[in-house]
Amino acid sequence: MKRMVIFLLALFIAIPVFAIDGTQLLKEIDRNLNPESYELYRKLINIEPDGRKKEYVLFTAKKGKDKVAALFLSPASDKGRSTLRLGDNMWLYIPNVGKPVRITSLQSVVGGIFNNADIMQLDYSDEYTVEKIEDLKNQYLLHLKAKTKTVAYDRLKFWADKKTKTPVKIECRTEADMLIKTLYFKEIKDFGGGIIRPSIIETDSPLYKGYKSIIIIAGIKKREFKDEVFTLTFMPKMESLR
Amino acid sequence: MFNVLGSSSKSIFLPFIFSLFIFTIHHSLFTIHLLFAEEYKFEASEFEKKPYRIGGYIEFYPVLFGLDKNSSLYKLNFYNRSEGSTTEQYNANLQLEGSLEKGILRAYVKTFTNYTNSYQTETTKITVFEGKISIKPTDSFIAEAGKKTLNWGKGYAWNPVAFLDRTKDPNDPELSREGFIVGSLDFTKSLSGPLKTFSFTPVLIPVYSGVNDDFGELDHLNFASKFYFLLYDTDIDLMFLTGGSKTTRYGMDFSRNLASNLEIHGEFSWINDFKKTITDSSGNTSQDRYNAINYLIGLRYLTEKDTTFILEYYHNGTGYNHKEMSDFFTFIDRAYEMYTSEGNRTMLNKAINLASNAYGRINPAKNYLYLRISQKDPFDILYWTPAVTLITNIDDKSFSLMPEISYTGITNFEFRLRGGPIVGTRSSEYGEKQNDYRIDFRMRYYF
Repeated sequence: MKRMVIFLLALFIAIPVFAIDGTQLLKEIDRNLNPESYELYRKLINIEPDGRKKEYVLFTAKKGKDKVAALFLSPASDKGRSTLRLGDNMWLYIPNVGKPVRITSLQSVVGGIFNNADIMQLDYSDEYTVEKIEDLKNQYLLHLKAKTKTVAYDRLKFWADKKTKTPVKIECRTEADMLIKTLYFKEIKDFGGGIIRPSIIETDSPLYKGYKSIIIIAGIKKREFKDEVFTLTFMPKMESLR
Repeated sequence: MFNVLGSSSKSIFLPFIFSLFIFTIHHSLFTIHLLFAEEYKFEASEFEKKPYRIGGYIEFYPVLFGLDKNSSLYKLNFYNRSEGSTTEQYNANLQLEGSLEKGILRAYVKTFTNYTNSYQTETTKITVFEGKISIKPTDSFIAEAGKKTLNWGKGYAWNPVAFLDRTKDPNDPELSREGFIVGSLDFTKSLSGPLKTFSFTPVLIPVYSGVNDDFGELDHLNFASKFYFLLYDTDIDLMFLTGGSKTTRYGMDFSRNLASNLEIHGEFSWINDFKKTITDSSGNTSQDRYNAINYLIGLRYLTEKDTTFILEYYHNGTGYNHKEMSDFFTFIDRAYEMYTSEGNRTMLNKAINLASNAYGRINPAKNYLYLRISQKDPFDILYWTPAVTLITNIDDKSFSLMPEISYTGITNFEFRLRGGPIVGTRSSEYGEKQNDYRIDFRMRYYF
């Protein structure tokens, strides 16, 4: 009898975890972070151990599952640079060079802790599968595995708030489970149009001890773009989207 | 033909650079206190769009050359003057860009002002690099007219398919270049399936007295086109140029990621009826006519430790083989000997004329290898990038090796210090260059 009670109790506790559809939850989190197609203004700040910092302002356009383009608005040294991602293909356009150059997801466009994949990120559910979910007190802990080798971080440990279904913390790890960096999502803000999400993302990395990076989101809204916006020919003209 | 700074300036060259570094560090330390006081903020005014834009950069760019007094090109350039073992060149550059946007119309201009003070001359030159009007009625159609650069090709150091561009300098391939006056259209279509994007770019290039008169033969309206395909995740371009100012030529290029950290690219061009002027070792010139084939194959590889390798092999079918280059250098030596022994400049003038044309191109020979290795943020220190660049003439095994260090940690400033030897035996391309080594420093401020 005692064994039966323990079994039923264990089953009762375990049911909510197994009842969660991980893929569906990740899709919900994606939609809470941003619409499938949108425009976004954000600032990236790299902070060095001595307090010096370098700031970048970017305009981003995303369409569907695999099209995203970003344009640097400042500082002057980077103004006019644009990046384009079409699925696993990525390009960088530098005004002085005058033509788009193919780049890899691992290269860094701005230096610091950010890499290209951070700047041209697709939906988590498009790049990762949910291997496991842990039901914590106020959060879910999702264990994500990259769908392909081209994704910048092979594994993610993803803490999401149960109530808002938005990320709280993400650990980016290699295939060998080495921690590359940690993202902390802060200050939930109502951006209008039903988008309520964290407005600040702080990043640190054991690979860059003492350095910190911050993303501040100032504006995000749903917007439809023509497919031709996400082409090499359009990269020098991205400013015309604003 | 004078040196304003005089020989004493040589001794202040490196201390001056050092002073600049000190100034920079001091400046950055001073700003730390200000930065600590700031809160993280992001105001709408920081990304508010204006209909106009003015920007650019200003740079200071001194160069120190270590002269090779036994080389042929030293004899050619310094035949009537005596220099020490080094000579300097002081450059100050201002690049200005401005644009104005109204509805579907956009006007854009880029000018480049260069001040140079060297052993040869003191000059100030203003060049309009680009100046064009664009009309963009839809996101898939753009029409442009004016002076612009096309920048065709996928190669980093060389672009054998860049039929409408001025030659790139592989020592500094990311520098802006002057364009040509053209009229062009861009039609782009996105598709689903293996062919994701198709673009068609027809271009008209008028070549008349006063209009693109350094492009080729005058009094021709030339036509070129490029067809771009993103097919099976591979960028592919097909292009041609015809019209009379240059002989008809066809080209193709491609670029593809083989892995998330490895990219491969290539270019191929075929030039119909190419004319090459050749000199023998006595200065007798002849003209060779043939269909020239140029190609390039390259890789870009990124390691886990953020080291980037760029490797390119370039076959220049319009270039000179080892014997032809060697004959040219022998001719210079003979012309110099005649000048020094008899005071007769006739042969020397002919050599100067040859050097200012095909033999004097940035890369006049047939086969080259380019290797650049750069390390981002070494030892996890941000914004410092050490790199080394090797450019080799494969046929005569001469080369230039250029280590460098650059720093971009101060907003809108860019610093680069580089220097290295230029090595080769007698009668080899790099062995006969006028310099044994060069050191240059570039401080650039963007605004």
